Amino acid sequence: MSNNDNIINRILASRAKFSHKNTSYNKCDEEGGCGVTGFISSIQIRGRHIYEPSVQMHNRGNGKGGGIAAVGLCASDLGVTQEVLDSHYLIQIAYIDPKSRPEVELANIVPFMDIHKAEKIPTIDDYRDIGLEVKPPDVWRYFCRVNKNILSIFIEDNKLHEMDPHKAEDEFIYQNSVSLNQKFYASLGEKKAFVMSHGRNVMILKVVGYAEHVTQYYCLEDFKAHGWIAHQRYPTRGRLWHPGGAHPFSGMHEALVHNGDFANYHSVSEYLNQYNIYPQFLTDTEVSVLLLDLYSRTFGYPMEYIIEALAPTTENDFDRLPFEKQRIYRYIQSQHVSCSPDGPWFFIIARNDPYKKAFQLIGITDTSMLRPQVFALQEGEVQIGLVCSEKQAIDATLQNLASEDSRFCPVADKYWNARGGSARTGGSFIFTVKDSSKGAGSKELVTTNKFGQIVSTPSNQKHFNDSISISKPLDQDNILQTIKKHIESDDIDELKSFCIKNVINWNYDSLKLLCDELVNQSKNSDKSKTNAICTLTYLNDTVFPTGTKKRSSILNMLRNSLALIFSSTPMLNKPSESIYKYIDFITRDTLRAPEKNEKILVVNAREFAAEGIDCDARVLNKAYILGWKQYICYGYKGQRFTGCGFGKGTDGVRIDVYDSSGDYLASGIDGMEIYVHGNAQDQLGQIMKRGKLVIYGDVGQTFMYGAKGGNVFILGRAAGRPLINGTGCPRVVINGTCLDYLAESFMAGDPLNGGGFVILNGMEYNDCGCLVTLPSPYPGSNLFSLASGGAIYIRDPFKIIVEDQLNGGEFADLSQADWELIYPYLKENEKLFGISIEDDLLTVNGKKMEYKKVYRKVQAIKLAALS
Amino acid sequence: MNLNENYKLPETYETPSRFRNTIGKYTIKRNSNCISCGLCAKLCPYGVHQRYDNYSKPIRPVEHKCIGPICKENSYYCIDRCPQKALTLRPNPILETMGDYRWTSEMLIAHFEMAETGSLPKVNLEYDLGNSGGGFDKIRFIKPDQHKYIDISDDKIDTSVQLNKTGDGRPIKTISIPCYGGGMSYGSTALPVMVGRARAAKRLNTLTCTGEGGYPPELLPYKDHVITQVATGLFGVREETIKYCPVMEFKYAQGAKPGLGGHLLGSKVTPAVAAMRETVVGSSLFSPFPFHSVYSVEDHKKHVDWMKEINHNVLVSVKVSTPTDVDMVAVGAYYAGAHIVHIDGSYGGTGAAPDIAKKNIAMPIEYAIPKVHNFLLNEGARDKICLIASGGIRNAMDVAKAIALGADGVVIGTAELVALECVRCSNCESGRGCARGIATTDPELGYMITEEYAEQRIINMYMAWRKQWCEILRGFGMKSLKELVGRSDLLVHLDYLDESERKKYKPAPNIQMVI
Repeated sequence: MSNNDNIINRILASRAKFSHKNTSYNKCDEEGGCGVTGFISSIQIRGRHIYEPSVQMHNRGNGKGGGIAAVGLCASDLGVTQEVLDSHYLIQIAYIDPKSRPEVELANIVPFMDIHKAEKIPTIDDYRDIGLEVKPPDVWRYFCRVNKNILSIFIEDNKLHEMDPHKAEDEFIYQNSVSLNQKFYASLGEKKAFVMSHGRNVMILKVVGYAEHVTQYYCLEDFKAHGWIAHQRYPTRGRLWHPGGAHPFSGMHEALVHNGDFANYHSVSEYLNQYNIYPQFLTDTEVSVLLLDLYSRTFGYPMEYIIEALAPTTENDFDRLPFEKQRIYRYIQSQHVSCSPDGPWFFIIARNDPYKKAFQLIGITDTSMLRPQVFALQEGEVQIGLVCSEKQAIDATLQNLASEDSRFCPVADKYWNARGGSARTGGSFIFTVKDSSKGAGSKELVTTNKFGQIVSTPSNQKHFNDSISISKPLDQDNILQTIKKHIESDDIDELKSFCIKNVINWNYDSLKLLCDELVNQSKNSDKSKTNAICTLTYLNDTVFPTGTKKRSSILNMLRNSLALIFSSTPMLNKPSESIYKYIDFITRDTLRAPEKNEKILVVNAREFAAEGIDCDARVLNKAYILGWKQYICYGYKGQRFTGCGFGKGTDGVRIDVYDSSGDYLASGIDGMEIYVHGNAQDQLGQIMKRGKLVIYGDVGQTFMYGAKGGNVFILGRAAGRPLINGTGCPRVVINGTCLDYLAESFMAGDPLNGGGFVILNGMEYNDCGCLVTLPSPYPGSNLFSLASGGAIYIRDPFKIIVEDQLNGGEFADLSQADWELIYPYLKENEKLFGISIEDDLLTVNGKKMEYKKVYRKVQAIKLAALS
Repeated sequence: MNLNENYKLPETYETPSRFRNTIGKYTIKRNSNCISCGLCAKLCPYGVHQRYDNYSKPIRPVEHKCIGPICKENSYYCIDRCPQKALTLRPNPILETMGDYRWTSEMLIAHFEMAETGSLPKVNLEYDLGNSGGGFDKIRFIKPDQHKYIDISDDKIDTSVQLNKTGDGRPIKTISIPCYGGGMSYGSTALPVMVGRARAAKRLNTLTCTGEGGYPPELLPYKDHVITQVATGLFGVREETIKYCPVMEFKYAQGAKPGLGGHLLGSKVTPAVAAMRETVVGSSLFSPFPFHSVYSVEDHKKHVDWMKEINHNVLVSVKVSTPTDVDMVAVGAYYAGAHIVHIDGSYGGTGAAPDIAKKNIAMPIEYAIPKVHNFLLNEGARDKICLIASGGIRNAMDVAKAIALGADGVVIGTAELVALECVRCSNCESGRGCARGIATTDPELGYMITEEYAEQRIINMYMAWRKQWCEILRGFGMKSLKELVGRSDLLVHLDYLDESERKKYKPAPNIQMVI
């Protein structure tokens, strides 16, 4: 037995002293998913910035549990020195019964700890002022170290001499908290107090309410930290009087929030019990963090192996791993698969690694990707990494930060979804903040995937800094004249190509000038306005090389200009001759039928509710009944159901959607056209019947579930489970790829005879704005599983897709008829996105190839299971 | 009374069997000694022996009307009175092989009779209890206090159920009987059955449900009484089908097969069914489990919000099976904005559910109802939500027991088919489908039934049931079924009584089957 094993066994043995006779074995609450969000930055960020994304995800919680955690805290905010902050434990104890404090301190703090500082966390006077129904517990924070003598006795008793004494101290703190919770929480009918967190330089606070209540109640608006995570809980039990079950939970130096729910709580608990670990709060989240703590602190696994133990790599992905990895992963899986959380889950972990002097934010998804998740990264003068349930919470965070600090841009440089158990990325990403080479306490953020490979953005590109005043660009006259000429002569295509041609060499000043001039021109006439919108939209939708400029900054500039043009549209209740009319939340009651030449309703969605009677989707419904057919909707921050509820036969309706649109967009549409000018969210196009949907970006989970038809064009990628249970004749072009489970149980007839199909091009724009072929056109292990109809046309010139990825489908040669079928769709794709059939799709490594050699067809076979 | 002022309960009228040879408890044989004197026809007040004026030969007795050997005491007992001793009376041997321990042969025959006449059977049949050895068969109402009896007529008794109690501004929909029809898809049952059920629902002022096979246009005239089901396969669900309906139902799971989606085997996917669902002819249709878009309660809320956005007046029902944490599921559904929580226990389902699922999973409904009812009470949410139970609720007594356990109302599937003379052979999925022309999409078999027949038979059965409910209520001195909700103090479970106590209650029928 090696030395290491000895220590592990001694640590585990030392935990055996606790009696858990009175601890319940049953899960306390069922809870569904929730809303989770987190970010970490190279600079410290104020608590108020976790507020906005939390508010954005209100509808993912029900106000019965909210929590936040912060890591990499600011010493001066806490009134201690940096040295104390780094070396001392920050124990936070929630006193559900405030009178229990002397008793608790006497039992578990005073006898063992050298207390450097103890204080009650300041709160506002009355919890009811911010809408809380249950008074949050009094939380006391103690900066302390374990008393030297006590620690030596502990080390002596448990024979932990070979251990780093600070790690032994960690273990003491951990056990002391278990003991405290045992005495005052877990084994009592009347719960008195519990430890919220006890790590170094990390803290957790939670309430019965929404997450943002935490920042308000505990006065954290100006409290600074590198990393923040927040959680909106959705417990299905109605009456709660203390936040013991709320997230985040802590093992040692970390905080974990979780969205989802396990089917195997009991088997995970039993596994933990074998190591003398007993859950005390009885939720999935607690067992997750206990598992994490066991793997990392006791077993000493590196993060990669911990992630593998939680979310095993399976199927085709496992086959694609290097041999050496397969060998190790096989060991990990045989040891841990029985206690890997089963069911939908997504973890966000904020952690302090005091031994490596790094703060980390980690997002891990389950192998089946059953919970929504978006990652984002921005790298400039300062760097920030974000993880969230919904993209609009990321945008809200960045907008909020940018409004205060010009080093942040409201648009992230990169957005992506993790593919669970992926052989390429591992399905999880780690943002690490550590000391930078620049010294003077400055930090830098490094993003890596599970395998430690770095994820980054082009280093030669710079963000636009709007705090620096704009100087007059050299080519000012040329730009102004060209715009004027083309706008007036209605020659938009010329203007577009002028912009695309020059944008690579322009600096931000020229670009700003272009945008401002277009805004100016838009005021002249409806025609100029249409042309200006058209040009700006085109630039927003098209991916082009940006030179040394960040695409995120350019997009932000374009979107701001569009918003300016939209918001300067005449109000519905003000007289004007314009074909454009504006309506927003405040003026929604002025909605009336279009008069005279009025044609386009511009809807500012910003202040509308995400759903329900005050949502913008209702306004669109009413407007449609009144006779409006064309809409520009902008200002979205995740409002849902755009285009829903119009009913049957909506041909001639067109909706243009800008900004962070929400879930269920275009669901059930029958005839109308919707253009989404940016990334779209989850559950788009459910049961879609007919019509056209164009997405100038990526789409989220379960896209077009149960769709019956429609022509759909996606510039980017789709996340997990697109087109499941598709029937009828949906026809879809996806230029990127999908995470997994594309067109499972697809039943859309015979594509050559009016049925449906999906064209998967497997291409994406790289950081330089050039279209490139992806390493695999379809990385998932399940393509067209159990399908009985329809077909997938997949651009796979290198024949990377293998039989193993098809569960029930078969490869077939592409016939002339097939090509003639898909050609018009690729042609439309070319028109919409500028992805050329000849130059991009059929050109492989610079060589033109025959369609038969480039595309492959996957078709349904008659399965015994289906007859 | 909470009924619509204008609403009158539908009329019942005789709707005879579709089959020449009906199934009765007894069989009467006439041998060749018969001289066709016509005496038996004159004597029998039940119409067993029929004789037409213009046809002098004896015809086959209408056996299911015969009340059997107890008739011996009557002066009109045909067996004894026949001058030729040409008639013999025996128990019908078919009974030993028909039905099962839950749906006993007598219960089936009694329901045929109720559906035929609209009244409770005159023949001595046990239709309140089966012989399953558990469930509702072990539960009895206590003997009511005689002084409490109130003597009011059936039409003064309120059997209605209010479906929207949330006070959210959406319509307060009331159904006039505590039952509505369960979802059976276009594809699983014949179109005349679907339409007949909808017509009955309209006249009874209740609802029926499309199931997940799409919304046939033939249902449109009755759309105010048709629930659109949105199940995991989303077959045939379109915006307009959600706009039609007063109530939409999310089918998350079925008590008969929790953990599985619906399925329709290839042989029933005829061209017409495939067209309605927009799928491939002859290819089995498996609905996934669960909804791919719903893995948690906040997804569920979003799902509910979506439906509410499509139809601004629709009420939302959430149908779930009964796992051990069904109470949590129910309260979660409520907080997410559902109006109706529909819990589906393990006894239900037709022959289509696989045995392995049907017989092994989900909590029996009589445990689930009080669990959910009490949990909602403690949450303070019980008066805000309509709790509907289903899954093996067979007869009027089961309905009353379910209500006394805590449900507001129930969903009926199988019993409606039994009213259409389903014999529970459990071969719904085989080949062309049902030999009785009910659970089939075969164009020939499916037209063994007319819409009118289905409509009236179902009405007749419910009107007979209503008589039983009214009698129970009168016994307990109640004027409304609402007073019975949650009164489990009025029930006893035989297993928990001591021997002497137990003897006071009617035992389960000791019917043994030949299997």
